[in-house]
Amino acid sequence: MNAVEVARKLKEEFGAAVRATDSPSPDRLFIDVERAVLRPVSNRIAALGGRYIVSIGYDEIARNGTLGLVHTFAFDADHWAAAVRTSAPASDPLFDSITPDIPNAGWSEREYMDLLGMKFVGHPKPKRLILADDWPEGVHPLRKEVPYNLVPPAAEDVAYRLDEAPEGTAVIPIGPFHSSLHEPEHFAVYVDGETIKGCDYRGFMTHRGIEKLCQTQVSYNEVPFVAERICGICGSVHATTYAQAVEAAAGIRISRRAEYIRTVILEIERLHSHLLWLGVAGHLIGFDTVFMQAWRVRERIMWLSERITGNRKTYGMVVIGGVRRDITPEIAKEIEEVLAGVEKETLVLKKSIIGDTSIHRRTKGVGVISKEESVRWSLVGPVARARGIDIDVRRDHPYAAYDDMTFDVPVVTSEDVWGTLVVRVLEIFEAIKILRQALRNMPSDGPLLAEVGEALPPLRHAFSLVEAPRGEAAHYVITGEENRPERWRVRAPSYPNLQAVPLMLLGDQFADFPIILGSIDPCFSCTDRVAVIDARTGRRRVLGRQELENISRRGKG
Amino acid sequence: MVMGIVYALVNVLVFVLLAPFYDGVARRLTARVQSRKGPPLRQPYLDILKLLGKENVISAEGWPFRLAPLSAFASILAVIVLVPLGAKANILSHRADVITVVYLLALGGVSVLLGALASRNTFAMIGASREMMTMIMIEPVLAMTLIMTAVKVNSLGLQGAMAGVSASGFGLSTGLMLAVYLLALQAFVAKQPFDIAEAEIEVLEGPFIEYSGPNYALFKLSMMLKQMFYAFLFVSVFLPAAGTGVYPLDILIQLAAILAVFVLIAVVGSTNPRLRIDQAVRYYAVLIFLSLCAVGLALKGL
Repeated sequence: MNAVEVARKLKEEFGAAVRATDSPSPDRLFIDVERAVLRPVSNRIAALGGRYIVSIGYDEIARNGTLGLVHTFAFDADHWAAAVRTSAPASDPLFDSITPDIPNAGWSEREYMDLLGMKFVGHPKPKRLILADDWPEGVHPLRKEVPYNLVPPAAEDVAYRLDEAPEGTAVIPIGPFHSSLHEPEHFAVYVDGETIKGCDYRGFMTHRGIEKLCQTQVSYNEVPFVAERICGICGSVHATTYAQAVEAAAGIRISRRAEYIRTVILEIERLHSHLLWLGVAGHLIGFDTVFMQAWRVRERIMWLSERITGNRKTYGMVVIGGVRRDITPEIAKEIEEVLAGVEKETLVLKKSIIGDTSIHRRTKGVGVISKEESVRWSLVGPVARARGIDIDVRRDHPYAAYDDMTFDVPVVTSEDVWGTLVVRVLEIFEAIKILRQALRNMPSDGPLLAEVGEALPPLRHAFSLVEAPRGEAAHYVITGEENRPERWRVRAPSYPNLQAVPLMLLGDQFADFPIILGSIDPCFSCTDRVAVIDARTGRRRVLGRQELENISRRGKG
Repeated sequence: MVMGIVYALVNVLVFVLLAPFYDGVARRLTARVQSRKGPPLRQPYLDILKLLGKENVISAEGWPFRLAPLSAFASILAVIVLVPLGAKANILSHRADVITVVYLLALGGVSVLLGALASRNTFAMIGASREMMTMIMIEPVLAMTLIMTAVKVNSLGLQGAMAGVSASGFGLSTGLMLAVYLLALQAFVAKQPFDIAEAEIEVLEGPFIEYSGPNYALFKLSMMLKQMFYAFLFVSVFLPAAGTGVYPLDILIQLAAILAVFVLIAVVGSTNPRLRIDQAVRYYAVLIFLSLCAVGLALKGL
């Protein structure tokens, strides 16, 4: 069903409650609705086949005294996406929660409870999500009135209250620091013997306040470099997604050559990320040989990235209007050579992994979540494709030069960790295929950087989707008046996928926890990008060794 | 008499001095399989020395926590002093039998459990429960190996039992037990795919999580000694052809054979992911059954 039909249908069914629809391009539809029909309209769109992406909350108090809320949905088969917008007066920021019907909205809504002071009626778990436990009540850091560098005094003896443990279970604390996490997060895993009966998650411990920072301190052109630092693995993805959103909002057209170069960079990033994950997955099931070999192959990609961009990671290639560096014929030749080597070695890896029955034993039937549940939970990326959901932003919502590329989207139906492994291994070869086409067909002329006018038009909404190695990344931008975004919402692929992890863990063995969590390739830093939290406690004192030892021993039960 | 004491001392010296070396060889080989250079062969010695030089942090109350590393080390040392290295029985071998060895090895395992439970750490508890399951399932295989050889010589005496195969020659039962022993080897030495109790990635070294410094050094050395012991047991039970009668030469031959066993351990360990405890227990059950069959065959004189 295309955007026009959906717009007509909604107008027919909801009448004047649908105030306006706007389609700035054939692949986007903005629907402004009354607050009262937000939930039914969202449900209707989901029922028509819309896959929930993310919600965006924003502060318009200074302009008209309201708080705005947007739910976004993708119609993958029909190549377009919708945004349902509404608002509520700041004095009465009540919205109907859509989480009971669309569970993946749970975090988005909790995020705006914390950050904007919105209230969601009927939310099943209205607990604090983002703000630190000692953050004072009633201070909502994404509101414009709150300065970006606010440091409220630290409080002692406040702690997150974990969910009630199911009867007869013991709690195993995974985190905040644990060797299978790599980043500070806390999972409380409820086990009966070795069987997992439940799990509560307390994350968002490494907030850097990136969104607030970019909405208040830096300018449009600087944001891509900040965006790139959201994630250490898929940095270019975030830079591209942001740049595309701004370009769409301001109507900037970039040259075809720049689009091809973005494609090349994104696929090189995918190669590095897939090989990285393959290694980590091996490590998580106690198979360090896979770890070392995958990373040895990946090292060629790291070398190549440095050759192209000057950096092994965090390439700094993508800016609004195009890219910063060219891919010369000499470099193109080197890319081809590296690809040939990587392809050969990955084939060996693939053979030894796919055929290894001991790996089957540790991954098949582990972390199972059915296709229906995965659709309900709006899973994305290889995690979804391993559950038989045939989505891939590169094909469904083409960006950069992907409309020129022919490639397969590997989909398997095993619904477990094994499927994810297979999908990601196969995607390595698809990425190589895309890279070869991109290098072959790249137009030889065209500016790397398009002319961007003096000032971008303010208060335009746009969002863009990019297929990161782990799944879909989505950025929503509202252009601002001070040469920086008024609102910039980042949603990394881990954000939806992490929410379904408790479901995947249910009934599995505790020993499978690392690989199940690892299978979604969680990027905690990506989900932790919002809010203004400063690590400084306001007090400064140096702990002696004895004190540290005492503290570390006190926590034992 | 004097020579008996000397032989016993040689046992201890050879094992304590060489166990870290074999560990180093295994680490080096693992590294090679993984396209890494690997640490120098002296690294395990340095690790132990470093740990011995550190402060002994006692993070749990009560004597079991302090006693556990000592009794683990003492029990494996006691095993080592008994065995006839270089096919020469020492002063103590005559007084020990198969049951003693099985007992002492179990005591080592129990010590690990004791320390883990005393530390009251969640991850140590999980590790301990896994260790316990492993012990219950894998000790019978060891016991059956020794009992099979004891059946062959009609004596539970350690020296006789260990020479049981050479005395009676290879038979069906020996062949079967040899296969079972090899299949159980990784579990005996707690290497992949059976390093389940220590699984670094989920239970963070499990039973040993609260140990550091000299206490941990004792555990580490006990583990290395245990690994070398199991390799030695394999060599002396199943490869009896090495007897030249010259004591130093026999020791050298056995040490070379132990090296070969460690190569096997390293290669298998680096080409397998870790199993889950439920999968491992099913695997062990098959091994127990097969080892019982081997003893049955031995009783039939096969």
